[in-house]
Amino acid sequence: MSWLAGYFPKKPELTPQQAERLAAWQARPTPRQDHPINASRYVVVDVESSGLDTARDHLIAIGAVAVTHGRIQLNDSHEIVLQQTQASDKDNILIHGIGGTVQREGTPPAEALLNFLEFLGKDPLIAFHVAFDQAMIKRALKTFLGLTFEHAWVDLAYVAPALHPRIARSTRALDDWMGLYQISNYARHNALADALATAELYLVMRPLLAAHGAESFRDVKTLEQNWYRQSQPV
Amino acid sequence: MSEATNSLIQATADHLSQFAPFDQMDAEHVLWLAQHATLAYFAKGEAVLSPEQSEPVPFVIIKQGVIQGEQGVVGAAEDSAWLELHEGECFPLGALLAGRPVTSVYRASSDAFCYLVPATDFLRLTRLSAAFYDFCTRRIANLLEQSKHLIQAGYSKASAEQQSMSSNLAAVIRRDPVTCPPDASIKTALQLMQEHSVGAMVAVEGAVPVGIFTLHDVLDRVVLAETDLSRPVIGIMSTQLTTLPPHAPAHEAALAMAKQGIRHVLVTDNGRLTGVVSEKDLFNLQRVGLSRISNAIRHAATLDLLKQCAQDIQQLTRNMLAQGVAAEQLTQIITTLNDLLTTRIIELELQATPIPDIEFCWLALGSEGRFEQTLNTDQDNGIIFAPKSDQTPAAIREILLPFAKRINDALDACGFPLCNGFVMASNPKWCLSLEEWQATFDNWIYHGAPMDLLHSTIFFDFRPLYGADHLGASLRKWLQQAAPKNSRFLHQLAVNALRNRPPLGVVRDFVTGDDHTVDLKMNGITPFVDAARIFSLAVGGSQTNTLERLREIASPLHIKPRDIDAYCEAFLFIQLLRLRLHHEQNEQGKPLTNRVDPDTLNNLDRRILKEVFRQARKLQTKLALDYQV
Repeated sequence: MSWLAGYFPKKPELTPQQAERLAAWQARPTPRQDHPINASRYVVVDVESSGLDTARDHLIAIGAVAVTHGRIQLNDSHEIVLQQTQASDKDNILIHGIGGTVQREGTPPAEALLNFLEFLGKDPLIAFHVAFDQAMIKRALKTFLGLTFEHAWVDLAYVAPALHPRIARSTRALDDWMGLYQISNYARHNALADALATAELYLVMRPLLAAHGAESFRDVKTLEQNWYRQSQPV
Repeated sequence: MSEATNSLIQATADHLSQFAPFDQMDAEHVLWLAQHATLAYFAKGEAVLSPEQSEPVPFVIIKQGVIQGEQGVVGAAEDSAWLELHEGECFPLGALLAGRPVTSVYRASSDAFCYLVPATDFLRLTRLSAAFYDFCTRRIANLLEQSKHLIQAGYSKASAEQQSMSSNLAAVIRRDPVTCPPDASIKTALQLMQEHSVGAMVAVEGAVPVGIFTLHDVLDRVVLAETDLSRPVIGIMSTQLTTLPPHAPAHEAALAMAKQGIRHVLVTDNGRLTGVVSEKDLFNLQRVGLSRISNAIRHAATLDLLKQCAQDIQQLTRNMLAQGVAAEQLTQIITTLNDLLTTRIIELELQATPIPDIEFCWLALGSEGRFEQTLNTDQDNGIIFAPKSDQTPAAIREILLPFAKRINDALDACGFPLCNGFVMASNPKWCLSLEEWQATFDNWIYHGAPMDLLHSTIFFDFRPLYGADHLGASLRKWLQQAAPKNSRFLHQLAVNALRNRPPLGVVRDFVTGDDHTVDLKMNGITPFVDAARIFSLAVGGSQTNTLERLREIASPLHIKPRDIDAYCEAFLFIQLLRLRLHHEQNEQGKPLTNRVDPDTLNNLDRRILKEVFRQARKLQTKLALDYQV
């Protein structure tokens, strides 16, 4: 039945300490969806991976920046680099700037991911084009921690155009929005730098969210969903 | 929250380190600052800080965008932006250090990202980092220090070339050589020498020197030898030539002259003549020193010699700028030397045409009266005299006016242009007896007509320069009594002074005219000078110098010494900028102006200039409050 192993990967082995940390994380309460966004903590993430195939490529790094009460406490930011069994190919190293040595030197995956979860807590996640980041993070958590990661996400790629319907057609990519708001990025394609830039984009949008009457996580989610449906081909 | 440093913290620290004062701080302290910073976004028009806010004031550093300070109650009536802050700048230091709320609203004038640091962490940082503490408590002084280093670096090269005997001959050569062909007649050669007023004539064959003839040789070889002037000049020339390359240092030329007993050395580049260096040229290199100039002035016997001295004063100023002499000493030295010059002109005039039996005193007015002359100062002067009981003022005036006219003209010849407004001793209105001066001043103080106010800004800075000092002292004493009594007059002066606002911009850092310049004198110096004068008159002060006046009013007006220091430093920085500007204009042969394009200043100087204007605003705010303008 070894051919099935690919479909049903065996549960990863965690040390008792790791299992305990994971259980502690799982036991944390999930914040209410109607909690005002101005009084909550959100975590903006960006991932770097060995490629764009969410089924085959593997997670290399997560950059995470927390936004609390509408502000970024610089120290409340986190970056994990997963130790790779094999470094990703050269082209990719060029894009992310995470060289083979650093990749091999990173933190063992289970440890790194637990650090990430503890940083995150149960606070909602924000990303630009959630689908990719979500898939990469989910698969890594399944593979290395055996965790089924069901978490609340907000996708700025849908919220931003919902707030700016007029320029939505011409402004699609993260770089477009960055250009629009003149948000600088200290190191594009570095997970933490991209997460910071995305977080800054979120800060810029907060006054507009308020103007649209979006006061809680649920309101923002509604806004995002509406735009998503509207933008699907009929 | 981890205390560990990640790339975000590091990138933030790197960004901050591009700006003062963070660039002066230890890397670990900047890192500490980044770890304790929060990033916040302010949409255009949103208040960043305001006096009403209840939460403690944070330390704010601009990451991106522009923040504007708006004056509170005082400036509310007018267009109220008074300062504009850009990337890397931080505020509100005063409020943080004093632990009080801000007095102004700070508002984002474009979408802006700012780093916020809690007040408690700000105070911890002032204790952690000496450089940071220093910046917060004496920020103008600090920025100035940095700027001074830059200036000195810029000038030291130029001055070394100008001044020292180690500069190369190429730099010493003053003009193209005056030459003739070897077969030119002696007469032609002598005529050419006179025409160009040079002491040496060089005969060249296709730019290669073949002989030299100097004025010194005329006696021996021409006059006493009764040489026929139509003979070729080469016949009486020295053909043993001493030449040096252009890159040889000046002292080598001096050595050659001393060794061979000659007065001229030819400078040749690959055999071709490029210049002649005379003993006098070398002497000039060492001539420009403070004591030399003052001695030269004291002993000058003619106006022409004094004109040369006036030029030397300019050269000296340049050298002193290069040596980093502070603006306060510099302007005082200029004034002192100009005083000497004026004194000597008067002395020479009195020797030529004595004025018997009249007790008078030459008054310096305006910037000279304040000891604040820079290089493009036109003359402002007057005369005060004491008629004997049998003399009428009008009769004395008749004697003094032609005398004063000659002095005004002589000063003009020495580079102090005649005053456009005729504020000169040769104007009958400003050549008055003590009683007449008092009546004039009294009239101004009492009526305060627009012209009276204008005059008082020039005349109330008077001081005795030459002659019967006690007359000037009496007038000052009288003014010290009269001015404080009339608060309406002081109020009018304050109103007038406040019409002239420092050009801090709403849209850009500076408000500039169509020519993109700000006037350093009008917008920079004048607010300080005016405010100091009014305060000084109000407390019955005796000083005329702006800095002395500021120091004098501190105690009676309860202004903190730290604030006074900041005003003085701000004032001196503008003076320094003006001096530099005038030198550059001099060098380029342009007319001297006080207008500077802020874009041509380096970042640091721009920032200081902004800070200086901010200090001017602060002083004006006090003026407005004290006089209810």
